[in-house]
Amino acid sequence: MSKSYFDETHTAIGHPKSTFMQWMLTIDHKRIGLMYAAVMFAFFFVAVATAFLMRLELFAPGGQFIDGDTFNQAFTLHGVIMIFLFIVPGIPAVLGNIVMPLMIGAKDVSFPRLNWFTFWLYILGCIIALASLFTDAGFADTGWTFYAPYSITTDTNVVFTLVAAFVLGMASILTGLNFLVTIHRLRAPGMTFWKMPLFVWGIYATAWIQLLATPVVGITLILAIMEKYFGIGIFDPAKGGDPVLFEHLFWIYSHPAVYLMILPAFGVMSEIIPTFSRREVFGYRAIALSSASIAGIGYLVWGHHLYTSGMADIAKTIFSFLTFFVAIPTGIKFYDWIATMYKGKIILSTPMLWALGTIITFTIGGLTGVTIAMIGVDIHLQDTYYTVAHFHYAMLGGVVFLFFAGLHYWFPLVTGKMYNETHAKRAFYLQFVGFNLLWFPMFIAGYYGMPRRYFDYLPEFQIYHQVSFVGAVLFIAGLIYMFIVFFKGWKSGNPSGPNPWNATTLEWHMPSSPPPLENHSKVPYVDFNPYEYHHGEPVVKFDYATMKRID
Amino acid sequence: MDTNIVDYKKERLVYYKVLVGLLLLTAVTFIQPHLFMEESTFMAQMLIALIKAWLIIMYYMHLKGDTLIGTMGIFSLIIVATFFIIVIGFDVANFQFGDESYITGPTSAGVESAAPTHH
Amino acid sequence: MSHEYVPEIAVDREGNEYKVQGWQDDFYGGKLGFWLFMFTEVLMFGAMFMALAYYNHLHPQEFIEASASLNRLLGGINTVILLVSALTMGLSLLKMRAGDVKGSKLMIWATIVLALAFLGIKAVEWTAEYNHGIFLMHGEMLPESGMSFGKKLFFGMYFTMTGIHGFHIIIGIGIMLWLLKRINAGKVRPDHHILHWNIALYWDIVHLIWVFVFPYYYMIGAGGATGGH
Repeated sequence: MSKSYFDETHTAIGHPKSTFMQWMLTIDHKRIGLMYAAVMFAFFFVAVATAFLMRLELFAPGGQFIDGDTFNQAFTLHGVIMIFLFIVPGIPAVLGNIVMPLMIGAKDVSFPRLNWFTFWLYILGCIIALASLFTDAGFADTGWTFYAPYSITTDTNVVFTLVAAFVLGMASILTGLNFLVTIHRLRAPGMTFWKMPLFVWGIYATAWIQLLATPVVGITLILAIMEKYFGIGIFDPAKGGDPVLFEHLFWIYSHPAVYLMILPAFGVMSEIIPTFSRREVFGYRAIALSSASIAGIGYLVWGHHLYTSGMADIAKTIFSFLTFFVAIPTGIKFYDWIATMYKGKIILSTPMLWALGTIITFTIGGLTGVTIAMIGVDIHLQDTYYTVAHFHYAMLGGVVFLFFAGLHYWFPLVTGKMYNETHAKRAFYLQFVGFNLLWFPMFIAGYYGMPRRYFDYLPEFQIYHQVSFVGAVLFIAGLIYMFIVFFKGWKSGNPSGPNPWNATTLEWHMPSSPPPLENHSKVPYVDFNPYEYHHGEPVVKFDYATMKRID
Repeated sequence: MDTNIVDYKKERLVYYKVLVGLLLLTAVTFIQPHLFMEESTFMAQMLIALIKAWLIIMYYMHLKGDTLIGTMGIFSLIIVATFFIIVIGFDVANFQFGDESYITGPTSAGVESAAPTHH
Repeated sequence: MSHEYVPEIAVDREGNEYKVQGWQDDFYGGKLGFWLFMFTEVLMFGAMFMALAYYNHLHPQEFIEASASLNRLLGGINTVILLVSALTMGLSLLKMRAGDVKGSKLMIWATIVLALAFLGIKAVEWTAEYNHGIFLMHGEMLPESGMSFGKKLFFGMYFTMTGIHGFHIIIGIGIMLWLLKRINAGKVRPDHHILHWNIALYWDIVHLIWVFVFPYYYMIGAGGATGGH
């Protein structure tokens, strides 16, 4: 039996003997990705628990379990963890780290030591973020957006959260930088940009956003800290500062950040759909370029968060127009995926089920986004449950669903084992039903005027909150179920072999399963397209010892 | 690119030439307000800064001849410039409540003019 | 488990051979990575300049008056100091590439001395301003003082941006000392100088930022109270 990356590793410093230190100091991209996943999902469950606490409070009107201030801190904690600790690093740090170098035939990312450093920077950010939970002042109660001037004047410990967000932003920048250089420098010979798998395209577009948008929020957070402690005046109306400027600077990053989340998720979708349709992806170039154009247009739409904040009418109109425009490349992607499935040999494995479920949920999330991109409608629906439902449909029903799809898809690659398909499918159905039950009533409640971030509400909204609560219970049950399936699969699943899905991209052409430390036995010459199927069978075959084509 | 093959004397000469250029431009910075474009010191100063920046980037930072990084740099600068144009250009120039606003209004000359008390 | 790079060749179906780029010894990759990092620096300062330009647009006259009150002589001396230090750093890299390690180290020391001189002058400037009652959380800058909004914002941004720039200088001194250590340890050599190259780039970006910070703060008011913008 050949050695896998679980048995040996390269380390950043020295040659530690203990397994624990080997994991702590590892510079192997696959191990780092796994460690990200472990930390990230631990925090994910903390944030889910916080959300469930809020749902519990909202089960009936009036205050039952927590008071208003705690509720404010709860939704801030939920938002900060979910955004900065989970979903922004999310797919790039976990799946991007593990899979992207394999897909382009590289031995590792371009700067493996920087990758290791970035991971620990991320951990540092997590510690700072959560440390304020245990201080006297308590966790920030500003919401994850830290709007000035409230964040400047609040007595809660907002500075910890600001610093944490800055550190996590640095980690995000360095991840993006590492991936950009990797994709530019380490592609296997022959692999042009037009021969890269679409997930790599997604990661590439994402990395540009990480690199070019995150610094803006970084400096904004620094300025907010300077304002709070040195009174520089920039966001303080008492010194002539303009709080709306904070919102502008904040959303210059934070809106592209949602594309930063969704683009690698779309990349996962573009891998799964052709594999389980056994067909070459329809419109490869259109999907690749739409990733790039979503990233590009996504930079210029931040103003739609500020329709009610005080902005020139002409600017609102431009932002509204540009926001509609983002829907076009997104629509192109969806049509391409559906066209890929047309006349394909569709195999309903668990990853495919998650992908198909996402087509439904993300379509709802995306189209409701288009409605609130309209200025008039938005003024009615701003800060209502409608908006909350919209972005949870897009983020949870889009990004996280596809993250789960990717986890199911690459699980056999990473662990070398197969989970129980029947149970995994049941977990999917449970979560899919729970998800819709949880969020769909919020569209209606929001439309009738239920404001977000309130711990109390009028009795007429009770029915929506109670349906949501039932959905939340189902969803969390499904979530736990899914992780039990993963855990059991890893512990006692059947060996999967290197290519259980009959997929075509390079990460499935490993000499052994799980992959060895330095990936492919030899770097292949890439003279084929990423998804070549003929009559439902992969065209390109390799001799895994020499990585020469034998078809 | 093999950076090890160095024509030491030739490259050193480039460094000194650029230094002289930068020093001259710095001198121009100081005499500009009394020399040219007196009505728009701001524009003149930024123009000089741009020329200096171009010299530094091309010669001190060796970007000359590097198309990949050059393209990426221009791409990044366009993004920064777009922020400027959209925020400053469209929003600020057309803000319809500018005169009524306490922050943007022309009366905001000092704290004594209707400023709310801090905290 | 060493990281040594084993050169590898990929072969296509016709038997042609292609060199495979590993992550080890990737000079251009290292350079590209550092350039990408510098873009983030540009964006950070770009966002601050955007805020500055916004407030300048709201209070043009006050910005000019506040700018006129800064010490242009000290600012100008600092500009020349940074300019010369960019040359010494560039020459140190050139000497390293040409094989003159000793001369290279000397030039790095010269850069460090110039950087310290820059910080010293900056300190003199800030002290003088503090004594005039203009400093963060102090005197005229307090919310209750009667200084106009435009001036408060100008000086607030001035201390923030020159402060963050000064912080970059301190970081620069730190990494130059580290570079000297790496050269002494033989890790940075004439045939392996990517770290030296990138630190020289870092010093240039610090200089580059000053090229814009200096005129925006010190010079826009140089034409007297009627000029500018």
